[in-house]
Amino acid sequence: MFASFRLSFAWLHTWFGLVLGFVLMVAFFFGSLSVFDREIDRWALPQTRIEAQPMPSFDKILASRFASITEPEPEEIEAASNRVTKPLPDKLTPSQYGAYTTHRDPVLGMYVGFDVPNSTLPDDHAYGEITIDPRDGHVLPHDQLALGSAFFYPMHFSLHITWHDIGYWIVALAAMAMLAAIVSGVVMHRKIFREFFTFRPGKKLLRSTLDLHNLTGVVALPFHFLWALSGLIIFAGIYFPVLEKLMQPLVEAHEREEAMHTGLDILPSGKPGTLASVDAMMAVAKERWASRGAPGEVGFLFVNHVGNSNASVSIYRDSTDRVATAEGLHFEGTTGRILFEDPPTGPIETVNAFLTGMHLQQFKHWTLRWLIFVGGFLSSTCIATGFIFFVEKRKHAHAAQGYGGSRWVDALAVTTVTGMVVATLFVLVMNRALPEDLAHRDSWEKSSFWLAWLLTLGHATWRSAAVLQARMSKAWVEQCWAIALSGALAVVLNAVTTGDHLGRTLSAGYWPVAGVDLMLLAFAFVAAIAARRLQQRATHASPASASLEEPERA
Amino acid sequence: MPDALLLMAALVFSVAGMGWLALAMDVHWNQVRASRRSPRIAVMLRVLGSVSLLTSLVLCLLADTATMAVLVWMMLLAVSAATIAFVLSSRPGVLAPLVVFSK
Repeated sequence: MFASFRLSFAWLHTWFGLVLGFVLMVAFFFGSLSVFDREIDRWALPQTRIEAQPMPSFDKILASRFASITEPEPEEIEAASNRVTKPLPDKLTPSQYGAYTTHRDPVLGMYVGFDVPNSTLPDDHAYGEITIDPRDGHVLPHDQLALGSAFFYPMHFSLHITWHDIGYWIVALAAMAMLAAIVSGVVMHRKIFREFFTFRPGKKLLRSTLDLHNLTGVVALPFHFLWALSGLIIFAGIYFPVLEKLMQPLVEAHEREEAMHTGLDILPSGKPGTLASVDAMMAVAKERWASRGAPGEVGFLFVNHVGNSNASVSIYRDSTDRVATAEGLHFEGTTGRILFEDPPTGPIETVNAFLTGMHLQQFKHWTLRWLIFVGGFLSSTCIATGFIFFVEKRKHAHAAQGYGGSRWVDALAVTTVTGMVVATLFVLVMNRALPEDLAHRDSWEKSSFWLAWLLTLGHATWRSAAVLQARMSKAWVEQCWAIALSGALAVVLNAVTTGDHLGRTLSAGYWPVAGVDLMLLAFAFVAAIAARRLQQRATHASPASASLEEPERA
Repeated sequence: MPDALLLMAALVFSVAGMGWLALAMDVHWNQVRASRRSPRIAVMLRVLGSVSLLTSLVLCLLADTATMAVLVWMMLLAVSAATIAFVLSSRPGVLAPLVVFSK
């Protein structure tokens, strides 16, 4: 089909990179923002702008809060009703409690798992959740959107397309394409070492774009590869549900076998039982961690078979000092006796825990966190320059032949590069501009994001007509100005509505909010410079002078 | 805060290391020095660059547990290489102190 190995790889790289690159752009941009999801939450929810808190007392605070969650979320009930063979009873029985925090969380997320009887899935639950202020246990409003952890973070792996989990599958396909693009990119690149440090912004757009694409692709190659791979591994259970689909009898047998060793029963006893002091169990866990030279706070607390005589309490350390996620310590609920401690992991599990932990970044290492954030932007730059190169390379030929292909690619590129940033900054602006007590505030914020993004698509499509004449679409410049304005506006609105201007947050050293403000200003600044440069380039360059060069390097 | 100092030093060594590796290439050497460069200097720059990057790894290992340190180092290399590339494209003269020993 192709004259050479290299050409066939070039085809693969170009077309898979183009089609799934739009999805990758979303995954990497919002993934980068998710590195600081908790900090964005603080910015978006002013009432949570306090210092991070440790896991509060279970006996005094959490127990009554868990008991106050009496039913699953409406959407959870609706989803569960599609999984059952008989109608759901009016009242579901709570069977699991979970509370989760990290060293970056001032608020505590809590959930209760309710048994779903007659489900087609084994061990099925529907969940109800609340977020509390751990200092006094008061419940935070349910309809306020934690923009970082509840909107940007799920966006990067699910695109918020929940129908049949199709979003996960699209992102997975894109991650697979990314792995293929990395390999094929290396094969195509003829001067990978000789041009390792090469970036020539003074050259023609086609050349300098390819330089930047190669540079950001090559220098961060291990990052691109490991993050695409670990992202796939985290959701491997969804993509290859081997355990629950093919090997269910084996899994159940294994669980029974394991339960005999661990003393952690699979099924509730059905006899009532009351929990002993969970605070005492947390104290035992902390003592044990400290005695092993790794003192720490409780990160995750889980109670199984709530209300039964065989209830168990599992306590996991907030693993701030290492990449991998933590092992658990399991207690008998009614007595507080240690039942079982997760053993040190085997080699496969260790690699899995490392890759998962690396991607989820629950560790306490601000340098690494920033480096990963920069890595995400190197990936985003690599993908974005790929789009621009695609258009630059073809637009003259397409214009001459009257094809609209590069026009549409350009419109989509504008939408997924600058348009996505505009929509993101717009939702931050709306977060500060909407009245605090507006009902369904979260829905308003989400809708404003999608609306803004749709508008950028409309704008990009309208302006991309210029590409038909082999000129640059003005949408790039205009949307860069939109980024600059909305970034600055978000910072101003934050200062006006909360009083937390940079002078105050910086002098108080409240980095979550100061950091987000500074990043917004950085976005605005870079976008303004980009807009100026693009305008200069557009006025200086005439279409005739921009010729194709090195067409063999697809 | 010895860990912060170690990481700062790791960053400096990793940027300098990438700088030396870049200057070992003719095209980038010519961006910084007008004179031609002897092959001996090129070898020296490569050795200097490699040793500097390894020093950066050792500093990372001193600051953190091994698994964390490897990740930090990997990301430092990426950021340092990109930094050197951008410096070379905008103000290559900034790298002159790296080759102060050669006219």
